[in-house]
Amino acid sequence: MNAPACPAADAGEAADRGPAAGSGEAGPRSRRFPAHRQELLRGLAAVALSPPPGCAPAARGLGLPVPSAAEHTAVFVLGAPAHAAIHLGPEGMLGGEALDRVAGFWRVLGLTPPADADHLGALLLLLAELGDAVARARSDRTAQALRRARSALVREHLWSWAPGYLSAVSRLDAPALAPWARLTLAALAREARQADPAPGLPLALRCAPPPPGPGLTRGQLLGALLAPVRSGIVLTPGDLRAGARAAGTGCRAGERRFTLGAMLDQEPAAVLGWLSRQASDWSGRHRRQPAVPGADPRRWWASRAAATAGALEAMRARYKVSL
Amino acid sequence: MSSDRAAGRAPRPGASTAASSRAAGSLPAGTLPADADLDALGARVLAARAATQARGETFYAGPSGVHLAAFPPIERWDDWVELDSRAWPRREERHYMLVPTTCFNCESACGLLAYVDRETGQVRKFEGNPEHPGSRGRNCAKGPSTLTQITDPDRILYPLRRSGPRGSGRWEQITWDEALDALAARIRTAITEGRQNEIMIHIGRPGEDGFTERVLASWGVDGHNSHTNVCSSGGRAGFQFWLGADRPSPDHANAKVIYLISSHLETGHYFNPHAQRITQARANGAKLIVLDTRLSNTATHADHWLSPQPGSEAAINLAVARHLIATKRYDREFVRRWWNWAEYLRACHPGTPVTFEAFEAILATLYADFTFEYAAAESGVDARVIADVAELIAGAGTRFAGHVWRSAAAGNLGGWQVARTLFLISALLGAVATEGGTFPNAYNKFVPRPIHVPPHPGTWQDLSWPIEYPLSQNEMSFLLPHFLAEGRGRLDTYFIRVYNPVWTNPDGAAWMEVLTDEDKVGCFVALTPTWNESAFLADYVLPMGHGSERHDTHSYEQYDGQWVAFRQPVLRAAAERLGAKVTDTREVNPGQVWEENEFWIELSWRIDPDGSLGIRRYHESRADPGTKLTVDEYYGWMFGNSVPGLPEKAAAEGLTPLGYMRRHGAFEIARGQGPLHEREVPAGELVDVAVTPDGRVYAASAGPPDPNIVPTGSPEPDGNGRRAVGVEVDGKVLRGFPTPSGRLEFWSSTLAAWGWPEHALPGYIKSHVHPDNLEPGQLVLLSTFRLPTQIHTRSANSKWLDELAHTNPVWIHPSDAARLGVARTGDLVRVETEIGYFVAKAWITQGIRPGVVACSHHMGRWRLEGGPRGAGSMMATVDLERGPDGWRMRRRAPVSPYESPDPDTRRIWWSDTGVHQNLTFPVHPDPISGMHCWHQAVRVRPAEPGDQHGDIAVDTARSRQVYRKWLALTRPAGSGSPGGLRRPYWLMRPLRPTRDAFRVPVP
Repeated sequence: MNAPACPAADAGEAADRGPAAGSGEAGPRSRRFPAHRQELLRGLAAVALSPPPGCAPAARGLGLPVPSAAEHTAVFVLGAPAHAAIHLGPEGMLGGEALDRVAGFWRVLGLTPPADADHLGALLLLLAELGDAVARARSDRTAQALRRARSALVREHLWSWAPGYLSAVSRLDAPALAPWARLTLAALAREARQADPAPGLPLALRCAPPPPGPGLTRGQLLGALLAPVRSGIVLTPGDLRAGARAAGTGCRAGERRFTLGAMLDQEPAAVLGWLSRQASDWSGRHRRQPAVPGADPRRWWASRAAATAGALEAMRARYKVSL
Repeated sequence: MSSDRAAGRAPRPGASTAASSRAAGSLPAGTLPADADLDALGARVLAARAATQARGETFYAGPSGVHLAAFPPIERWDDWVELDSRAWPRREERHYMLVPTTCFNCESACGLLAYVDRETGQVRKFEGNPEHPGSRGRNCAKGPSTLTQITDPDRILYPLRRSGPRGSGRWEQITWDEALDALAARIRTAITEGRQNEIMIHIGRPGEDGFTERVLASWGVDGHNSHTNVCSSGGRAGFQFWLGADRPSPDHANAKVIYLISSHLETGHYFNPHAQRITQARANGAKLIVLDTRLSNTATHADHWLSPQPGSEAAINLAVARHLIATKRYDREFVRRWWNWAEYLRACHPGTPVTFEAFEAILATLYADFTFEYAAAESGVDARVIADVAELIAGAGTRFAGHVWRSAAAGNLGGWQVARTLFLISALLGAVATEGGTFPNAYNKFVPRPIHVPPHPGTWQDLSWPIEYPLSQNEMSFLLPHFLAEGRGRLDTYFIRVYNPVWTNPDGAAWMEVLTDEDKVGCFVALTPTWNESAFLADYVLPMGHGSERHDTHSYEQYDGQWVAFRQPVLRAAAERLGAKVTDTREVNPGQVWEENEFWIELSWRIDPDGSLGIRRYHESRADPGTKLTVDEYYGWMFGNSVPGLPEKAAAEGLTPLGYMRRHGAFEIARGQGPLHEREVPAGELVDVAVTPDGRVYAASAGPPDPNIVPTGSPEPDGNGRRAVGVEVDGKVLRGFPTPSGRLEFWSSTLAAWGWPEHALPGYIKSHVHPDNLEPGQLVLLSTFRLPTQIHTRSANSKWLDELAHTNPVWIHPSDAARLGVARTGDLVRVETEIGYFVAKAWITQGIRPGVVACSHHMGRWRLEGGPRGAGSMMATVDLERGPDGWRMRRRAPVSPYESPDPDTRRIWWSDTGVHQNLTFPVHPDPISGMHCWHQAVRVRPAEPGDQHGDIAVDTARSRQVYRKWLALTRPAGSGSPGGLRRPYWLMRPLRPTRDAFRVPVP
């Protein structure tokens, strides 16, 4: 956590340190990007990144309960891994094109992407580093470049998926981490509001594959449902257990794809109905996310979830889905 | 506002504020906290962090996730708190003082941070130094393993003198005064009797930049000998003939294509600093091409792995070059401006107009025969693969980084042409001193001028620089026993320093024969931290410190920048931080372990106690004349006067320059040097200018003062004594390269004039192990490759490293194994060389070419029964017999657990130590570079009944025959040499004598 100055800031400084350098511009910038605002982000990142007891000082500093090791693992390892690629990638899995996109952003800044470059904790730390770098910048040109980079990080790589993810975490049975999720959502919402308005939707949403629709094979349908960027919904293992209860199916232990597939095999109509309702609920959740200026991803997500709800309902009604 | 905040105190951990309650825990779901509450929370976290860290505790655990910055911040290096791992599960805090130093376990000079326990005053561990610009906080296994070396229960702690016959293993402890007085008396007598050439210091791992050379210069002795001709001379020579600098400095991190001949990513020179930058480049999309006959770890990372027939690497390079030329994908403007094509045309094509177009027409024909098909036939690599690689390289443009160091350049007759043809590719692409290209090392290395610079000695050491090898890159060190045996000279006092000639060199038995002969070597002194095969034979064994117990400065080319690193005795620095005054490093080192700087200064004073020999003045204080120079003054002066920017940087922190280096351990002087050869020579230097027809510019001005004394070529002045200041390019006088022509020497006037005109251009010399030179049934043995965690001769005292790697089986392809009757991995094979054989275990693997076997040189340490206990920790005990037909070695006992103050020695679970194959190799001196050509033509067969793992047999009479056979390949200097010299004056030489000493003596 004792990170050196952001290389991007250094590089910029070298290039454009001019007569105005050190002319007092740092004052207003440090007010707009104060240290405590960055520290809030770091503290939130630490809770996500470090299992207890490592995260305990940060959690206490935030006034949050310290999660148990079991709860931390249940959320960040098993229930809702905090990687952008899962939410923005067409397969809904770790790595791949979505991770490459985030890693490329690190590289553009002159930084070596860490192994989990798209982890929410790593991205929050990067956001904090950039905030500090803006405050430290000794020329307007450098500060503007860093501020633009910071805005792009928020718009493209955080606000594009984190609200849905944090909603999912807050719905888990995680008494210590649900408040963390709400606090993180609030902090990110402020960052998104204060970032440069987005001229368009994030790239990952613009090039997202289509939502589930008719004609999909069983495997394709499962893949689409479990990829948030395709379905607009986030299905955790806990959701599936609840879904099995609601649809009256057995819940076969396994990874989510296996479990959901087994549910559909048992009671396709009931499970499709449950999934449709889930999608409708998620559409509402997305709509209720905090509003931000410019192109607002919440509408896209709400629309995507609604489309999924409609498609699932149609499948259920026609009962012709190839399962 | 809470009472804590109102009072300016940090909130108590866990104490909730109103803001945090509202913000986090007590809000109804769906309600988000207001910005003001978020700000209050942020301020609370900030305060909690400050308060926690002020107590020396950790607030944010683990790496940050940004910059991999998992290092203690430097402002807390005086009192850093960590939990004691041995106390687990109790949480016991330990307080450390963090002191930087420089690793001494290879030449990368990576930064280390010693964790000195404030309670015990002992070093508890070593980690990386984040302040070091080259290694950037990272280390390989060898760095942290310094701990096992300094705590090695078997290390040498006191000065010892032989008390029985040489090699008898009987020693007596003496004082440093006794040792110093005895040695000083011998050396003083030799100098005053004009026997300067009977004094020699033989260096293994230098680990520093020029201190030892200056000691010898101060004595007026040309006695520097190095291990370089068994190491890197082949690679160096190829670069030097081109550049006037003998090392490449590839900017791997910014390269588009990286071309490695051997395994630099994994084990090669500058392993850690280069590996991390190669990895960085690959993450950015760079392509990695590796030429390595073995499937090394590096090869497994390659985008293109080429496994060539050993010795054919230059043919592949030339096929790539031909492709660039034939498809006109070379940087025409760079070639026109910087190659010495005009000189080449004038010398070799006198009837041809001296135009670039005429040169291009000739260039198009020079390498026409090196088609992909020809390279494929020579190398055994598919022509399509070579074509693909060539195309990839052609697309790299100026972002092509290439490197060869040992490997093929060190293995083959003519191996230096591997480096020369590799640089041909860089020079064609214009990828010289460009971002992502390859720099002359001198651009990226900084050797600060010291307080005293003694003059060149007036003698010439024929034992190191014999007349037969006028172009040898370095001292012909591995021929020393043959020269002594032939009666070319004798040594009165012979020092080895971090060097183990018996074990390291080929033909180690020849070394044993001369080192045990007191007529040939009068007094043999081993300066070493640990026992080794050579120290067993010494008259004096003097304990020197490891990387954390000595002072040195070090700088190496690892990216386009310049830095200098400081090695220091960490306990001395720690004591000084606590206010103690330490004037002698022995006060803080274990036992009576010393460091070389103070030792050489003290010895020099005793050689010249009254100053009458003119030696003492180079070891005398400038601040307090008449007193001895201290290391504090030596480095204080150097850092204060010869390292640009350091005094200012130190002052900004309220430190002296020396204090800054003791605190940080390294300093980056410059970054982004760029093409220094393109810099215009200032008008002030252009006094009484003379320009040759080829554009070499000479001027009568003195050179600009330069605090950087990095070694480079030193072009000779013109006939009127004017200095070579630059080269004329398109009407401007640019600095150019330190070569005779001032340009990149595609054609080497030096090679042409000194008897090798047929090799003056980059070319392909068929190796001594080329298939044409092998007898039926012979295979090629590769013996030059490293094990990533080993340290040549010092691993035997690093238990951790030996635990990681402790054997060197013979790699053999399944097809060869089947043909030869080697049934399974682990079976013993007998490997027969020209002078004997060794017995080793087979490792049957597809990771080696058919027809080639391989065995790492790193293993096979041994000691004799009855030797010092300290030598035994990681060495096999052997019987060694010398009979009428040579030497035989047989293992008596493997390594095993043993009791010592270190409980770890009871946990030695392995018994194998590998085999010492170098004993069975004859000398193979390349007639041009002087490099020992390591590859061997061997026969491999299943071991005979009675053979044991580790068996060695050597016929030294046969080894002398092989020596004479290779000696006959030379073209000696003589009265007809250019200028009547023994060696071209411009070529680099570690310790350069006076100009007069270069003259061939008149019979």
